[in-house]
Amino acid sequence: MSLLQDAKNWVRSRSIHVAYVDVGSCNGCDIEILACLAPRYDIEQYGIYVHNNPREADILLVVGAMTPPWVERLPALWAKIPAPKAAIAIGNCPVSGCVYNRRETYILGPVAKYIPIAAEVPGCPPRPTEILSAVLAVAPTVFRDYEVNRS
Amino acid sequence: MKRVVDVSIPLGPVHPCWKEPARVKCETRGEKVLSAEVELGYMKKGIERIMRGRPWQEVMFLAERVCGICSVIHNMVFIEGMEAVSGITVPDRAAYLRVVMNELDRIQSHLLANFSYCYTIEHETLAMYLLNTRERAMDCMERIAGVRVNKAYMIPGGVRFDLRDTDRALLLADLAHLEDSVHRYGRMFDTGPLIATRSKGVGILMQEQARIARAVGPTARASGIAEDVRLTHPTYRKLAFTPIVRTEGDNHARIMLRFDEIFQSLGLIRQCLHDLPAGPIRGGGTCGAGETVSRGEAPRGELSYFIRSDEYGRILDIAIRTPSIPNIDACTHHMLPGVTSLADVTSVFVSADPCIACNER
Amino acid sequence: MVQSIFWYLKEFLRGPWIHAFLFAKTAPLVTPSYFREYPSLTEKECTHCFTCRMICPAPGAIEVLQEGGTWHPVIHRGHCLRCGLCVEACPEGVLASGRILQWQEEDRTSFAATFHIQVDHATCMRCGNCCVSCPVNKEQDPQMASGGHSANNEVIMKISSGRHTVIHEERCVGCRTCEGACPNSAIRVARVVEGLQGVAEG
Repeated sequence: MSLLQDAKNWVRSRSIHVAYVDVGSCNGCDIEILACLAPRYDIEQYGIYVHNNPREADILLVVGAMTPPWVERLPALWAKIPAPKAAIAIGNCPVSGCVYNRRETYILGPVAKYIPIAAEVPGCPPRPTEILSAVLAVAPTVFRDYEVNRS
Repeated sequence: MKRVVDVSIPLGPVHPCWKEPARVKCETRGEKVLSAEVELGYMKKGIERIMRGRPWQEVMFLAERVCGICSVIHNMVFIEGMEAVSGITVPDRAAYLRVVMNELDRIQSHLLANFSYCYTIEHETLAMYLLNTRERAMDCMERIAGVRVNKAYMIPGGVRFDLRDTDRALLLADLAHLEDSVHRYGRMFDTGPLIATRSKGVGILMQEQARIARAVGPTARASGIAEDVRLTHPTYRKLAFTPIVRTEGDNHARIMLRFDEIFQSLGLIRQCLHDLPAGPIRGGGTCGAGETVSRGEAPRGELSYFIRSDEYGRILDIAIRTPSIPNIDACTHHMLPGVTSLADVTSVFVSADPCIACNER
Repeated sequence: MVQSIFWYLKEFLRGPWIHAFLFAKTAPLVTPSYFREYPSLTEKECTHCFTCRMICPAPGAIEVLQEGGTWHPVIHRGHCLRCGLCVEACPEGVLASGRILQWQEEDRTSFAATFHIQVDHATCMRCGNCCVSCPVNKEQDPQMASGGHSANNEVIMKISSGRHTVIHEERCVGCRTCEGACPNSAIRVARVVEGLQGVAEG
């Protein structure tokens, strides 16, 4: 049993499928996630694979300041991700609303009100290296011994 | 009028090819797209509402965050508007540095747009080459402004940081490298036979259609409309700028036009660095009351800010017209109908380089 | 079709490509020294002039707090934009970020600001919250009571004879504490900032 668990832990730390969802960002954090794909940062050498399909994802990167249309759509999207799963908030917007969190704004942040957020990467926008190290740091700890912790 | 429609296919808002949430609804018969409609509203943050009653040092950051991809031009157009309102003159050196920064931003934005297109037609090799080339342009900007995206480089009366001689030499070396790689990848795109099947003759926007939809920027210039707001900008006029025009109006023309514009931008930066006058980078001056419309050429087309301010330089009223609004209209109403395969819908949409964050603010 | 196979073969049989394929190694993930990181404290002493709070464009990003008898600015991650304006604006050089401080000394760039307090008397409730919360008022008259009344005429503003009165507008530092304390958003501080070069600070 524990051998199997060890194998699962090892596999899960080496193969992380990522989906990202933009809930009203300025595109700044969005393109920094895209930049992670570039051969310079080479996100795939760590086993992180970015594709935008929530049904195959382990980790959801949430970008943006939570605009009203996403209030019902984001939890629905979150429900579609199979367990074990984790959400990471990228940038200031999902954390605090950034510069948009002011009088007369439309945003309804923070994102943590709607889905559980495992980690936050502050910055406006964060550097690709910061995003990369956050995903690498979060994934093994969140998914470690998932079956044991669940029971 | 009753039409025979097989299926109405929605694409998005969360779609592997879309970088931002938007829904494109396509009415199809078989594989052929009869008509398309875009459904927006997923990104509305109310930036113009937040801007009201705030001084330039806050609105500048909000303007940048209208769009994170082309943030420099938003900053530039807003600041130039405030300068026009308050009668602030910019030192020559600062004006040239602004053009350098703006053109670097255009290069990275065009490379990103071409990356998205290559990624959408599943030519991942070329896409990754382009994305890696873009990192070099980002490095250039980071060396000047200290940050990769949302640079906050321009302030009323000048720019924030000067260009050092050591950085200038590094910048020129990087430009040479950029030119080499973009030349290679541009040729790969132009001559690649598989790329040609996916791009040539797909998503055609005729010149009349482009005029009806009031398309701007590379989308219009690829359809034979020689319009560029840089023609009226004083600094660009000193640099003897002329726009590049292509007449085919298909996906291939739009992407190749962006490659050509990258070379043009490289030339403009070199010219700026050559002519760069010595002197101060900030002229001072406080913002005052007035009303103006400030225009500039964003990587995606004409961007205009209507600004009205009070006597302390605070924004009373502001209206932003971003280039993606007419381009998305041109894309959904003129390019998408008649597309023969659903697989081309995403690539046609991406080839117009729509920026949803710009569009909705 | 055959042509494209040859094309790919030609592309992948280049020496540099094969070398990169076999010895693929990404550069170590280092942040360049010139990156505008979150502002860090230098050794210099903070005089709690609130210039950093005045110029900060992000809500809730910077605070100037007193700890153990000394004042120092505190940057809140998740709010800070890393724009570096506070570093540039600080007259004492308390904060540092990337090369901003060094460049500022070389280019002698600075920001100058003037402030104008505007009160909308139609919505002002004369509660005195602004006068009590104002950090400059607190220094001038630590005894100021909750109604905003004061016998001291050295304060920036006070409630006198049932009306909000601004006495010393020139002492305002533009920290916007009063805007946050006002329940009706009746008080507004206009901050007119200009970027200068070659002017001695002070």
